[in-house]
Amino acid sequence: MRRCVFAVAVLLLPVAGRFAASAEPMLGQPPLGLKPLTIPADNPLTADKVELGKQLYFDKRLSRDDTISCASCHDPKKGWSNGEAFATGVRGQVGGRSAPTIINAAYSDMQFWDGRALALEGQALGPIQNPIEMDMSLDEVVAKLNKLDGYRAAFRKVFNTDVTSEGIAKAIASFERTVLSGDAPYDRFKAGDKTALSEQAQRGMKVFFGKGQCSSCHTGHSFSDFSFHNVGVGMEKEKPDPGRFEVTKVLGDKGGFKTATLREISRTAPYMHDGRFKTLPEVVDYYDKGGFNNPQLDESIFALKLTTQEKADLVAFLTEGLTSTSYPDIAPPKLP
Amino acid sequence: MNRTLTSICFAVAAGWCLAAFAQEAKVETVVGGLSNPCGVAVQPETGHVFVADSAAGRVVRVVDGKLEEVITGFPKDVFGKGPFYDIGPLGLVFLDKNTLVVGDGGFKDGEEYIRVYTVPDAGKPALDFDKDAKSKSGPLAAAEGVVGEGNLYGLAATKTAIYVTCNGDDTKGWVAKVDVTGSKLGNLERFIPTKEQVEVDGPVGITISERGEIVVGQFGENNKPHDSLLTFYSAKTGMKILNLQTNLYDITGVAYSPKTKLLYATDFAWMAETEGGLFRLDSDPQNAATSLKTVKIAALDKPTAMAFAPDGTLYITIVGPKKVDENAPKEGKLVKIAPGL
Repeated sequence: MRRCVFAVAVLLLPVAGRFAASAEPMLGQPPLGLKPLTIPADNPLTADKVELGKQLYFDKRLSRDDTISCASCHDPKKGWSNGEAFATGVRGQVGGRSAPTIINAAYSDMQFWDGRALALEGQALGPIQNPIEMDMSLDEVVAKLNKLDGYRAAFRKVFNTDVTSEGIAKAIASFERTVLSGDAPYDRFKAGDKTALSEQAQRGMKVFFGKGQCSSCHTGHSFSDFSFHNVGVGMEKEKPDPGRFEVTKVLGDKGGFKTATLREISRTAPYMHDGRFKTLPEVVDYYDKGGFNNPQLDESIFALKLTTQEKADLVAFLTEGLTSTSYPDIAPPKLP
Repeated sequence: MNRTLTSICFAVAAGWCLAAFAQEAKVETVVGGLSNPCGVAVQPETGHVFVADSAAGRVVRVVDGKLEEVITGFPKDVFGKGPFYDIGPLGLVFLDKNTLVVGDGGFKDGEEYIRVYTVPDAGKPALDFDKDAKSKSGPLAAAEGVVGEGNLYGLAATKTAIYVTCNGDDTKGWVAKVDVTGSKLGNLERFIPTKEQVEVDGPVGITISERGEIVVGQFGENNKPHDSLLTFYSAKTGMKILNLQTNLYDITGVAYSPKTKLLYATDFAWMAETEGGLFRLDSDPQNAATSLKTVKIAALDKPTAMAFAPDGTLYITIVGPKKVDENAPKEGKLVKIAPGL
């Protein structure tokens, strides 16, 4: 069978200024240094939906015993993580990986450390249903929220339905899409303000993009390629966490975990997918030594031979350069 | 008047606004028995097809449906973290009928060259990769704060330069350049840090548009779906002109049809092998500045490179099924699609 299409040669259009990948309205422009967001066509970003998503995000009633909300493990006061090595859910149950920050997760096509969920909408319902996190079935949480007039009214207004699991996912995703960090000293320096970074941070920036090899993975406006790499962490264990391999079953993905954003890194300790390092100097030391060798170790991980000064400079860049004064310190809203 | 960025709209291909047909293309095997073939070029005048039979450490030509060694002895390296692929010579491009340029892939990053050969006529003894090279340019060695570059995958030539996609330095993703003056080649130099401009890894496929822009297919991360890009760069400045999302997995080759001027790409699809194949890249009128539309022309098992013959025949190298056993039969192939694309 022949399929007829009208094929048009690729056009070269001059690119001027920013573009929105979606025609849907956005809630303002992203902070300096960040790219415009891609908003899913089936989940336009609206103020009412973001507000609803914020309420859901901070509401512990989404968990079985009313003790855990999204914010419990992704707390704005703790860099949108939880300050602990691992996430803790209902009944004090402790997970096996750290709670990744929400900051700039809007730019990641795949969510969780292993990328098992697509987009924020695909992620939002996961922890609710996880027995060691919030431990609710979707039917249970929908029924629970539908008993609350305030939520029913809000869902009616935003989605023209009662509370639904799809609506919960879309609302939480919309809220998370507004948790952005840019406009850091690095961004202002890059935009032309040569006083925005101290001399030490400037030296550290040079290490970051050069000898330190950091930008192999921590690349782009969010300082993450949002891809998966085996950096050796945890591979010394007898039974290492398989990471991305669990999802793809591709050998090369063994021990691969998603690159964390470095935006607001000074606020998101401890570090790595298992929260093993309490401080950034520890992280830098680990990479400087070339990680833990294993067959799937990323090519970009090797002994860097940084000097003591270079390591200090690098930490200065990460802390001073990537910490924003417009950090999204969002307060919990009044709940229905 | 600022003519640069405001109102100019121009087509890359002369096929602009022409109606074309997407056909379920018939793929014919030209020759099998190849080991991870990674480069293909059509010799001017003779029409002989040359293939970088990468894991076999040689460059071969196809004569009457049979393989004939042209250059042998290239060393091998390993690419990937599982599956693992042996690789040797990679990119191929002819500067004229007798002058073939080959990109290294079998050495360590920072120790690789592009090598220039005067290819013997068909039936003559093969050349040695090292001692019979007419000249070589490179390497892109490590220096203070810069890692060595390597895996010289894709080659594209104009009258004044050869452009080379590289895959060693993951912080920059270089397209390197060699100036060509007559028959004299300059040094291999880092030219376009693609990753700094598009924030995605791995320039691999490369060609030159009719207007002279450098057109690069960005492979992206092999464990991340749909992140391949098609990017147009100024050959003069190396600056990005246009960057398009393709929704493909891992672009390995790009080429314009000499007949229709339409643009095609091969997608290796590392993490989703059944998704790989040959695609036509069409403009997306509603998002012309940000993305393009792809039309799948043929399903292929891990295609690695492509080259059109002047008559419009398209030649593609494919790796084929991956065998764990090193003694397994060589599954690589050269395939072709008849003129009409």
